[in-house]
Amino acid sequence: MKKNGDKALLPAGLQDLLMPAAAHEAEVVRRLIDCFSSEGYDRIKPPLLEFENALLSGAGETLSNQIFRLMDPTSHRMMGLRADITPQVARIAATRLQKASRPLRLCYGGDVLQVTGSQLRPERQFTQVGGELIGVTSDAADAEVIVAAACALENVGVKDLSVDINLPTLVPAIATDLSLEADLARDLRVALDRKDAAEVELLAGKHATLFLNLLHAAGTAEEILAFAKTLDLPGTARKEVERLVAVVELVRVQAPKLTVTLDLVEHRGFEYHTGISFIFFAKGVRGELGRGGRYNSVSVDNVVEPATGFTLFMDTVLRALPKPKIARRIFLPFGTRREEGGAFRAQGWVTISGLEPVKDDRAEALRLSCSHLLEGGHIHELGTN
Amino acid sequence: MPKIEPMILAVPKGRILKELLPLMKAAGIEPEASFFDDKCRQLRFATNVDYLELIRVRSFDVPTFVAFGAAHLGVAGSDVVMEFDYPEIYAPVDLKIGHCRMSVAAPKTLLRTEDPAQWSHIRVATKYPKITQRHFAARGVQAECIKLNGAMELAPNLGLCRRIVDLVSSGATLEANGLAEVEKIAEVSSRFVVNRAALKTRPSEINHWIRSFQEAVNAA
Repeated sequence: MKKNGDKALLPAGLQDLLMPAAAHEAEVVRRLIDCFSSEGYDRIKPPLLEFENALLSGAGETLSNQIFRLMDPTSHRMMGLRADITPQVARIAATRLQKASRPLRLCYGGDVLQVTGSQLRPERQFTQVGGELIGVTSDAADAEVIVAAACALENVGVKDLSVDINLPTLVPAIATDLSLEADLARDLRVALDRKDAAEVELLAGKHATLFLNLLHAAGTAEEILAFAKTLDLPGTARKEVERLVAVVELVRVQAPKLTVTLDLVEHRGFEYHTGISFIFFAKGVRGELGRGGRYNSVSVDNVVEPATGFTLFMDTVLRALPKPKIARRIFLPFGTRREEGGAFRAQGWVTISGLEPVKDDRAEALRLSCSHLLEGGHIHELGTN
Repeated sequence: MPKIEPMILAVPKGRILKELLPLMKAAGIEPEASFFDDKCRQLRFATNVDYLELIRVRSFDVPTFVAFGAAHLGVAGSDVVMEFDYPEIYAPVDLKIGHCRMSVAAPKTLLRTEDPAQWSHIRVATKYPKITQRHFAARGVQAECIKLNGAMELAPNLGLCRRIVDLVSSGATLEANGLAEVEKIAEVSSRFVVNRAALKTRPSEINHWIRSFQEAVNAA
């Protein structure tokens, strides 16, 4: 290993996915996509690379420093490697699928590449699976994407799933209503992102009580909904909260067993969102399983359309799942007829064929990590050691 | 009632601990006896709350334990929280203990000959390279940081570099080493911190401790 170190070393944040993880990931991706397809989300497949200006328009705006760029030698234009698939789907909806009937439901699965990973999530390349619901603003649409993603996650076996529903537009709406200065509003936003009570108190001045109350407005749906109803909010902010209440109630009716939490000030990563957003967590699992929310899909030629959607991060989703069951592998000694193996495969067996006669078939089967051996037409289960 | 899953509170070793214990007690946490035994090599301690365990780690390590979810709750100075700036940490309660400030200091003689407005690149000895870089970058100055873990005040006198960024409480140490405070970067106090995912997935229990510590602070 030491000698090959140089060859084996991969750039930071990239890894080889081996067996059985690679097969497991593919299987989980397939099952997730099946769930979304069955709810009418049609699968599309955007390319890995696009021209930079398309990748960075609308929903992609905030990703500028996460994109690897390279020059297209044929067109001499700058291209970017996708760091997120959502902006691509938005682009497709606004261009090629502009005439398709709305609501438009699309889903996708593929890898993205980001310039930097975070300390907690160092992966720079990972698989995203997601869905977008384009062309409607209704509460029912907001609830549908949350419930669809939650059901799919539970369907593939995620335990103790919870969804945190957020309203990233609330604080900006309050700041506008109180006519806070832009700089102050931004600093306050940062302090609220960190739920830094001392800093919020310092910045908010005479509005400290309101903002501290908001800072602490993170908890179970019952608690926070009760709190939200007591909030004395000015115009726009109140409408935002009313929508939140309506959507949360829909989600709770449609997915009564799902744990729902609310956080009225969560905002990080929702920079391009324009309404109700959400994040999936699973108890005891580090990081987010997925996230999503309402945004404006803006195409290159500035066609604006309301949309909402979700993205699941497969690295975290896989961490939240139990280890995959190892398939039954049967060793077929040299000379086993092909049809015999076919019969096993048809029953779901994985067959490992001997390519030459060996002295001890049993030892050979164990060496090749088989759980079973075909011997004289009979299946023998092999001990684990 | 179902059994509550274990929960871990990370507390810092050292001077803050003395001020922290009364607050913990007011919040309803009393460590087992061996916690107070300085000779004890134990690292994890039980408390009167059956599901809550304490770990005692270096103050610089508290945010890391909490950010990665190894501990669900923690107590850390705002200086270390700011230095690491982990997105996975919330600091919902200012415990109002461990007060001091983080400042830039330099030899008194330097201040007479230089105009800080003209700096483009400076070298600074500090325990807080990220805060220092951010602070100077915000005003267009590139700060090359030399990471030291203590005795910062020696650096200017021995020619390592001319400026330091360090915690100051009375200013006596600076004075004794011929240094003067140039500017304050931030006020520092200890914070009660929680892991973000823990707050989202176990809101009732985590909120209970946020409220308990807030009430303890209000009563103090």
